[in-house]
Amino acid sequence: MALVEIGGLKKTYPTGERALRGIDLTVESGEMVAVLGLSGSGKSTLLRCINRLVEPTEGEVILDGVRVTSLDKRGLRKVRQHMGMIFQEYNLVDRLSVLENVLSGCLGSASTWRAVLRAFPKVDIDRAMEFCHRVGILEHIRKRADQLSGGQRQRVGIARALMQQPKILLVDEPTSSLDMKIGVEVMELMCTIAEERHIPMLVSMHDLDMATRFSKRIVGLHLGRIVFDSPTAEVDRATMHRIYDGAADE
Amino acid sequence: MNSADLTESDAPHDRPPARPDGNPLRPRGVIAWLYARNAAFATVVVLLAVHVFVFQTDWSRTSGIGEMARTAAWFLPDLAYFPSILIALFETALIAFWGTAIGMAVAIPIAVLAARNVTPFGLVSYWSGRVIIVLSRSVHELVFALIFVSALGLGALPGIFALAVRSIGFMAKTTAEAIENVEIGPLEAIEATGAKRIAVILFAVLPQVFPIFVGNVIFQFDINLRRAAILGMVGAGGIGLIFAEQIMVLAYDRAGTVVLGVVLMVLLGEFVSNRLREWLL
Amino acid sequence: MMDELVRFSDAKAGYWRFVRLRRLIRYVVVLLFATYVYWTIWYLNIPVERIWGMPGRVATMIAGRMFPPDFEYALTGTVFMSILETIEMSLLGTVFGVIIAVPVSWFAAWNVTPSRAVCYPLGRAVLVFSRAIPAIIWAMILVVILGFGPMAGTITLILLTLSFAGKLMSEQIEAIDMGPVEAIRATGAGEIKIFFYAVLPQVKAAWIGIIIYSWDSTFRASTILGFVGAGGLGLYIRSTTQLLDYQRTTGIILVVIAMVVASEILSHFARQRIR
Repeated sequence: MALVEIGGLKKTYPTGERALRGIDLTVESGEMVAVLGLSGSGKSTLLRCINRLVEPTEGEVILDGVRVTSLDKRGLRKVRQHMGMIFQEYNLVDRLSVLENVLSGCLGSASTWRAVLRAFPKVDIDRAMEFCHRVGILEHIRKRADQLSGGQRQRVGIARALMQQPKILLVDEPTSSLDMKIGVEVMELMCTIAEERHIPMLVSMHDLDMATRFSKRIVGLHLGRIVFDSPTAEVDRATMHRIYDGAADE
Repeated sequence: MNSADLTESDAPHDRPPARPDGNPLRPRGVIAWLYARNAAFATVVVLLAVHVFVFQTDWSRTSGIGEMARTAAWFLPDLAYFPSILIALFETALIAFWGTAIGMAVAIPIAVLAARNVTPFGLVSYWSGRVIIVLSRSVHELVFALIFVSALGLGALPGIFALAVRSIGFMAKTTAEAIENVEIGPLEAIEATGAKRIAVILFAVLPQVFPIFVGNVIFQFDINLRRAAILGMVGAGGIGLIFAEQIMVLAYDRAGTVVLGVVLMVLLGEFVSNRLREWLL
Repeated sequence: MMDELVRFSDAKAGYWRFVRLRRLIRYVVVLLFATYVYWTIWYLNIPVERIWGMPGRVATMIAGRMFPPDFEYALTGTVFMSILETIEMSLLGTVFGVIIAVPVSWFAAWNVTPSRAVCYPLGRAVLVFSRAIPAIIWAMILVVILGFGPMAGTITLILLTLSFAGKLMSEQIEAIDMGPVEAIRATGAGEIKIFFYAVLPQVKAAWIGIIIYSWDSTFRASTILGFVGAGGLGLYIRSTTQLLDYQRTTGIILVVIAMVVASEILSHFARQRIR
């Protein structure tokens, strides 16, 4: 059984914008899928619909047998604890230390008191430090998050997502705000770790080279529809045109 | 050169104001209307001023500027009396401190209620928060003090609570505005980990508004020092009682001493506040 | 590999030391604060046992003695006149306060004050002095000097506007671009001309916002000055309280709240129009 099954997913924003026009997608355990598309193709919306940061208008998302789209608030929270998300703009809490940012990954399971006092159990703190070490920011753990460079901040984001011991990683254009070289380093780090721990990843991006280099399967999105979905090896010029010119639809 | 010329003339060196009626090329009709409006306003003001200063004042009692000056001079401080009010001044400062502290603690949840983006129960909680803020800001601390004195008896405690309730308004209002302006990114991130709403607020929202909040608390403390000085008049502790007493027994020089004491206390408070602000932010 | 492990456990140990230190400091601070609380309770004779019953007592008092509010009283003859008087006082207080605040804030602005030796200290002193003394105390002093009535209240409000708006206006002046000032000064113009041509145009927009903000504050204060005999509604708050006519007091307080809210809405619209 596939880990993630998406069926008939549609999203129309209140402004009338039809961001997703029917997405059917499955992700297997351990897969690394690159979602490729231009700005406005619906990549971000797709990712956010999976963990319902954006509520889909129609369709369903099933994660590991659980129908995410029909969960109530409490159920949704539980499921989100197993979905790690990495953002284009890192989305760290600037005033908090790096370690506190990483620790915020396990806030889902923390009691209210823990959140108030910011007192995490030793076990979690040790785990957080291990992840910091793994992503290479151990020497910065006490610094405020806004004192780090872009690449370092994204590593914090990665560590935070890992803290959740996620069943899937939703990654939204992780390198779009970074320099090329740093971006590649970050992608390498992410993919290596994901492979090590057999965590499937759904990564959105707009750079075909990046996608070809790091993923085994590429899904192309154009104006809210999937225009192709194939192993990387089969992607060629023609498929590229489908993303950039949308030859297959409209 | 009067001010009407300045704001409405089309003198070339005057920068055209942003408002649409400031256009130097507007037609005569509009200029006439503006002059008329200003003239009407000025007339109303003058009439009211005459009403107050001439008709509503008991000139038989005050009888001229000279008398007024002499009465004012009675207020010159009697410095020998100063040491006796130090304790009351200290008490006043304590009341101000605790009023601010308690107000600050209560203001945080109210600010969360009154912030459109994080209010937990939709319109109901939003408007509850806003109403509390309006009430807190519209009712004077003396009125609150009266209520609390009735419920708690005379002393410093009603004063502390009166200041606390009064302080909630400003602090919650500005903090709520700050909350409405936070970066939404970190909120999304924490929400995506499956954290409860309160954890999202504590971790992603409050750290962002912390600097503004602290600035407001310090500012509010300064204001509360002044407020605490008068609460004593209704029995809520502090130097206000002494001041009222001295005025009642016509010991105006001692009242002047109290005023001097209050001024010094306030200035000292501002000095400390500025240092604190620099150190913290 | 070993190297890395050593580095890692060093870093961990270092962090835990830091955490322990921070926890210690936190405990000490909490302890000090708790001591401070206890000391305050002792020093100010705080009747802690009454705090528990307070919400109940306040609620009983409000529900039993203050409700239903007596609006009729609030709208009868003399009381209604005092409402008008309150508005009158705040209007005059704001207008004249602003008029005086203009030169005072100019004097108190370090960058363009006409004389750093004389005008600046004078301006600063006026601002500080008017701000440091609470409005009600000013009102009481002025009532002694000028007698009961709205004149004392109006002058108190003038002082209040001066202290509030004056400071903010002065800060605005200190934040202007000095370029135009230098330019006008270079033409040989006197200080007053410099003010009108180089300073005023730059701060006008911000000043209007400040004036609206100050009106809000002044209006609120005007509703209570009568408490000490300086004119306006406050007088009736005092009289009804002293006569234990709490329902009438509530009526007046609610009228005050309504007035303040109305004034805020007006200010809000005024601010929108400025944009």
